[in-house]
Amino acid sequence: MRSEDARREILSAIRENLARGSSPPVPLSVPETGDVLSSPSPEGREGQGVRTFTERLAAVGAQCSVVRGEAEAAGALAGILSGAGARRVVGSDAPLVQRLLRPLRDRFEMAALDRLSRDDLFACDVGVTTAQWGIAETGTLVLESARERSRLLSLVPPIHVALLSTRCICESLGDGLAHVRQADSHAITFITGPSRTSDIELTLVVGVHGPQTVHVLLLEDV
Amino acid sequence: MSFDRDARTALADGQLRGALRHATTLFGERRRAAIADVPDWEGARDRARAIKDETLLHLDRYLEQFAANAERAGAQVHWARDAAQACDIIAGIAARRGARTVVKSKSMASEEIHLNAALAARGIAPVETDLGEYIVQLAGEKPSHIVVPAIHKTKGQIAALFAEKLGMEPSDDVAKLAAAARQALRRRFADADLGVSGVNFAVAETGTILILENEGNARLTTSLPRTHVALMGIEKVIPRFADLEVFLRLLPRSGTGQALTAYQSLLTGTKRHAADEGPEELHIVVLDNGRSRMLASPVTRQTLACIRCGACLNACPVYRQIGGHAYGSVYPGPIGAVLTPQLLGMGESAELPYASSLCGACRDVCPVKIDIPAVLLHLRAQAVARGGTTGTRALLERLAFASYAAVMARPRLFGWLMACARRLHIVPPLGAWTKCRDLRPLAPRSFRDEWRAGLRHEGGR
Repeated sequence: MRSEDARREILSAIRENLARGSSPPVPLSVPETGDVLSSPSPEGREGQGVRTFTERLAAVGAQCSVVRGEAEAAGALAGILSGAGARRVVGSDAPLVQRLLRPLRDRFEMAALDRLSRDDLFACDVGVTTAQWGIAETGTLVLESARERSRLLSLVPPIHVALLSTRCICESLGDGLAHVRQADSHAITFITGPSRTSDIELTLVVGVHGPQTVHVLLLEDV
Repeated sequence: MSFDRDARTALADGQLRGALRHATTLFGERRRAAIADVPDWEGARDRARAIKDETLLHLDRYLEQFAANAERAGAQVHWARDAAQACDIIAGIAARRGARTVVKSKSMASEEIHLNAALAARGIAPVETDLGEYIVQLAGEKPSHIVVPAIHKTKGQIAALFAEKLGMEPSDDVAKLAAAARQALRRRFADADLGVSGVNFAVAETGTILILENEGNARLTTSLPRTHVALMGIEKVIPRFADLEVFLRLLPRSGTGQALTAYQSLLTGTKRHAADEGPEELHIVVLDNGRSRMLASPVTRQTLACIRCGACLNACPVYRQIGGHAYGSVYPGPIGAVLTPQLLGMGESAELPYASSLCGACRDVCPVKIDIPAVLLHLRAQAVARGGTTGTRALLERLAFASYAAVMARPRLFGWLMACARRLHIVPPLGAWTKCRDLRPLAPRSFRDEWRAGLRHEGGR
């Protein structure tokens, strides 16, 4: 097989060239992460993390509402959907999303995830998902494919509503990478604000291919 | 290619230079603001470089580890010695999968192997979906910047282009232009059956590929079609998943001045269950195309540490004046001037290592501390050794530099020669240099004389 030959050739070319340029085997010292990377540590952990997270969300152009418990979340979600003039809504298979959307069936047309064709998906106004983690430092949502079918719902409809528990907010990017269940998920998506481009004269335009609006519903425990 | 001619053409283009000045200046300001909030930027640069050095010194091992882990997770890994092999592999996958609509997200490696032309020759027309790439493709041009492909175009030019190709009302409103592109491309995404992307980082430990972007077109490209082909140079591999942290801190800040780009897709193999979202097949094409040669010397090896942020382009006084196209190569700017001759061989691009004033601005902004001026000098020496200049000219050059070295190493001789020059009003023959500059006349008294006189004066006080 040709690719197998190419593999052998490339690997041996790498070995030969490395041997030719063999600088004396310098002991490699990769500086440790430690304080080099972490931002100054916060005092008063969780509250601080939530505050930083919401501040960063605002800075990257995402909306955010903090709600206590599921009842309040359901109300807020209904408000977001009607405020956006949504007609067709699609929710992920996360139980929380299902529970919150069920009472809204008469007010909005709900697309069924299991029978969702690509054209159906492109016709939806809003995708509702959960996020598995939030990263305070950057205002980032982390979505894991192992937990939920959220990959397309968080991308194709012009509005993405993400539900996130305040308990799942990590402090830094490094914490987020450490928490993420990489081995279980074939796709992990980090989302920081709405889709954006600056390709024309470096002028910011929001919502070029992905959602124009990202609304985070932050759930505090009751 | 003729760098000299194309650079002159670019310099005469006022609109181009205006667009470049605006964009590169803004990029510089945003980058400076973004790195200011990282507590130890220098430490992060050192760490990233050390990780890259470690990887490159054991590149064979890390590549094998990456391939094994990616395959274990369900990806198919292909190896391509050169551009032709890579194009054949990708065209073969497209044919086997019966792909008709191919969407592409931004990939400099795909530009390097001229994938679009190769696929078009086989009857497949890939659609570029990054807004900048889309503009450049519609215009029938090449990207002129590795991060912002259409940096050379004003919104007026883009409006005219969209009016002609997409039939939209001419508009100066950038949001309207972007909306028109979105509209045109959504249809393509809805129909797409094969997606081609690049790769920013490939994690050996897990077999994960990571793609950074802002628009969402890379997410669409890698999640909607049945087949995803990811093209990566051999240098994209990093050892550990946790290493992503430092690179995610450096790359967006250096490239666009963002703390993080809007999206990172971390893809490990294919979907695990039939009901999962995402492509059925993931093909990863690992490309050498001249890269392994660069490992042979510590000077050239550092070229492979590059993470393609584009900061050196924005900082370079040459790039800022002439833009990307004058370099005549896929990779422009300082990194292009060192990468291109090494990828293609000196014969094709011997002029590029000279497209620099060696000011070192590129080295200062490089997030992985590549000493680009050192690589440029190394390549210049190679160009000369290969007979870049020949005959009388080479002889004269050698003579001139030998005399210069001899004089500069002997202060008394230097002083005496300068005194003669001053007395006789000799203007040295500097050829091209004095063509567009006046040589300032020598001062009546040399600095050294003034200095000595000053010392006497001080001493007499």
